[in-house]
Amino acid sequence: MTPSPSGLGTGEAPAPPWRPVTRPEIDAFLRALMAAYEVVGVQEAGGRLALARLEDPGRLRLAYPPRVHSPKKFLFPNWEKLFRFRLKGAVLLEPERAAAPRVLFGVHPCDLHAVRTLDDCLFEGQADSAYRAKRDATVLVGVDCEPDPHCFCTSLGTDRVADGFDLFLHRDGEGYLVQVGSPRGEALLGRYAPGVAARPEAPPLPLQPKRTSRALGFPPGELAPLLDQRYDHPIWTELGDACLGCGTCTLLCPTCYCFTVQDRLHLDLAGGERLRTWDSCQFDQFARLSGGAEARAGQADRQRHRFFRKYVYLWEKHRRAACVGCGRCSRECLAGIDPTEVLDRLHGLGPGAEAPVSAPPGAEYHPQLATLVSAAALTDRDQHLVLRLPEPAEVAPGAFLAVSVFGLGEAPFTAAAAARDGREVELVVRAAGNLSRALHRLRAGDTVGIRGPFGQGYPVAAMVGQDLLLVAGGLGIVALRALVRAVLARRLEFGRVQLLYGAATPEQFLFREELAAWHRGGQVDLRLIANETPAGGWWGPRGDVTRLLRDLDLAPERTVAAVSGPAAMYRFTNPLLLRLGVAPERLYLNLERHMKCGLGKCGKCRINDLCVCECGPVFPYSQVQHLREAIER
Amino acid sequence: MKPRVGFFDFTGCEGCQLTVLNLEDELLELLELVDLAEFREVLTGGGGPLEIAFVEGSIVGPAQEARLRAVRARSRFLVALGACADTAGVNALGASRDSGALVAAVYGPGAILPELGPPRPVAAVVPVDARVPGCPVDGAEFLHVLQALLVGRAPELPHYSVCVECKLAELPCTFDRGRVCLGPVTRAGCHARCLAGGDRCRGCRGLVDNPRSEPYYRILADHGLTEAEVVAEFGLFNLAGRGGR
Repeated sequence: MTPSPSGLGTGEAPAPPWRPVTRPEIDAFLRALMAAYEVVGVQEAGGRLALARLEDPGRLRLAYPPRVHSPKKFLFPNWEKLFRFRLKGAVLLEPERAAAPRVLFGVHPCDLHAVRTLDDCLFEGQADSAYRAKRDATVLVGVDCEPDPHCFCTSLGTDRVADGFDLFLHRDGEGYLVQVGSPRGEALLGRYAPGVAARPEAPPLPLQPKRTSRALGFPPGELAPLLDQRYDHPIWTELGDACLGCGTCTLLCPTCYCFTVQDRLHLDLAGGERLRTWDSCQFDQFARLSGGAEARAGQADRQRHRFFRKYVYLWEKHRRAACVGCGRCSRECLAGIDPTEVLDRLHGLGPGAEAPVSAPPGAEYHPQLATLVSAAALTDRDQHLVLRLPEPAEVAPGAFLAVSVFGLGEAPFTAAAAARDGREVELVVRAAGNLSRALHRLRAGDTVGIRGPFGQGYPVAAMVGQDLLLVAGGLGIVALRALVRAVLARRLEFGRVQLLYGAATPEQFLFREELAAWHRGGQVDLRLIANETPAGGWWGPRGDVTRLLRDLDLAPERTVAAVSGPAAMYRFTNPLLLRLGVAPERLYLNLERHMKCGLGKCGKCRINDLCVCECGPVFPYSQVQHLREAIER
Repeated sequence: MKPRVGFFDFTGCEGCQLTVLNLEDELLELLELVDLAEFREVLTGGGGPLEIAFVEGSIVGPAQEARLRAVRARSRFLVALGACADTAGVNALGASRDSGALVAAVYGPGAILPELGPPRPVAAVVPVDARVPGCPVDGAEFLHVLQALLVGRAPELPHYSVCVECKLAELPCTFDRGRVCLGPVTRAGCHARCLAGGDRCRGCRGLVDNPRSEPYYRILADHGLTEAEVVAEFGLFNLAGRGGR
């Protein structure tokens, strides 16, 4: 049976054939090829492996560790004459000689992928003719590989290769299966190994995914968007401090092709050559400007540039990462800079990931751990918690935090006081569900998850110089207590502060002693009202908080009102306050909803089209009065 | 008239001059370009103004200083040829030892030599226009510098480290063999010759312009080197405070 070599070119082409081949047949094939081609392969010389011109087929290594140069060495060589010139008379431009026909025999899958990246970059726009000449004249014969501890090709999908080669050798028992990848490959077999070409096809091998000991902890599709968020990450400085600037990573990289061009004079000084040699973004002078300044002066900038070229810039252009996971850079890096480690850290995985400047994907949902400093009962169902934050945070009065107990979930809690020294925050937790009841069981020293602070709080700066009328109902006191604490820190800058506070029963007033102390100190004019007094012992007024608004003495033109309580309360307090002359834009309402994510995404806290966690929970009435869901229901 | 070129040796082994003379394939063509006016190893006589003076060896004592100044005075360009001229080279090793003990060790007890002071690089005595580093120099680099001066171009040395040439030569890293190497901080241009021969880089070409000392010292420490060993390694060609530039 003779398979048709032309089968590849006809419409619905059959799958390219696979045929068994033995090593002696490969050697015979090589010997035959050498008559017409320069054959290049991996061989041992002077106790080391190198990719070099092959003189003796028997010396070709088909199984070799990935420690040799990539095909770049021959396709885009380090030393390439672009043209020759004369200094006297007419400048003589000698075009690139036609590239010698060459077979790169035994190229690993990752390096075949790398050739495609070189194609992407060098054929783009004005194609690089010197590269094209070599590329066209070069036959690529792939061979399968065994990853070593530095390889991470599996992360980038370059451990296998489906095309981009002329022939590919798969190890199969004692021999090989040769897979045809192009009409040229088929023709080469037919001409230089006719015995193999005439052989019946063998079923293709069921290739299994490879295993590498290094791997990215996330899909490669996330690389470009991830790095785009990490331009200012501290890791670049770390890499810059560790890097020797030796350029080994880029010189050995199978896809790095940056070069410099220089003139080399002939000894007689009558002419010379313009040469292209490899350059490296890691070198001094690579980005030096004519005035002597370096466009990328620090090694940190250069390392970042290298990573961005590999995983962002070229990916955005060609939809192919310019990294094939061959591990050459980390294998030979004296500073041990390892892309998988760097990228995983940027992603928020692995050690040192806790301090990203901008959060890695998903990390906005990852709580940090806060330690409980103290817990005290305010009422029989309200607990006052003081938490120590892992990092200082500015918690505006009215802002909230998302508190997690792992296994039970997460819920928003309004800060009861702005953080002391930026590290502590006070919360009031009312026992309601599993989570809040679990929070009641916490003891000092225990930890909880915490995210935030989130939300826009009270505009304290805009209240300076004004009288404040604060109206709290029930748990609404929590946000207003935070506001009063912020005001007391600069009490002299504010006018009169009145706090009207209604609770269902006298036992349910929160922070009653503290509020009373403010009142006695003359800092806050406090009025309390209880709706019911089943236990007796209450000498104050009875009813709801609107009663306190009836005989109020205030100067509306210099009063800012802040009302915090259940939405139903606003239906009654708003008309009274407006009638007292408080302007809608000077009336702040606390419209807390279930702010689940805190990030404006989950949709649970929306009031009509308004997102409470992002724009609120504190709103001027003028901003929400048209929203039917704000107060009316 | 062809530019007149002279070679001058001071304290050194003359190996760099020999390297020039060993450029047998290029010498005849070279002599088409320049007039070899003074070269003690191959010519007698000399004197007169020079376009380029190549100075080999480090400078020891007032007599050598005076001779060097005289060469400088009659030369348009003066080039430090080789490590001894460029950084004082291995000669600088003597500067860190007691000279009396050294004389006794080399010439036997009781020997008396004039006290001449430490060997110095050429640039410590007279202005130097260009350098050809290395112990010995690389012949091709010597030609490169000579050409540049003849056509009026500032000679450029590689600004990157020996690691580059070592990787290009596909040599295994010396550190992989558990040995320390000065390649990461030493100026390239030698084509990693010592490494190709199985040795390590001992830094004969001097440091790159911008050696990354901190990460390099960390790497040395990671490989178990003590400070004394690091200093000894650098001291062979890059004695702190003496050689270097």
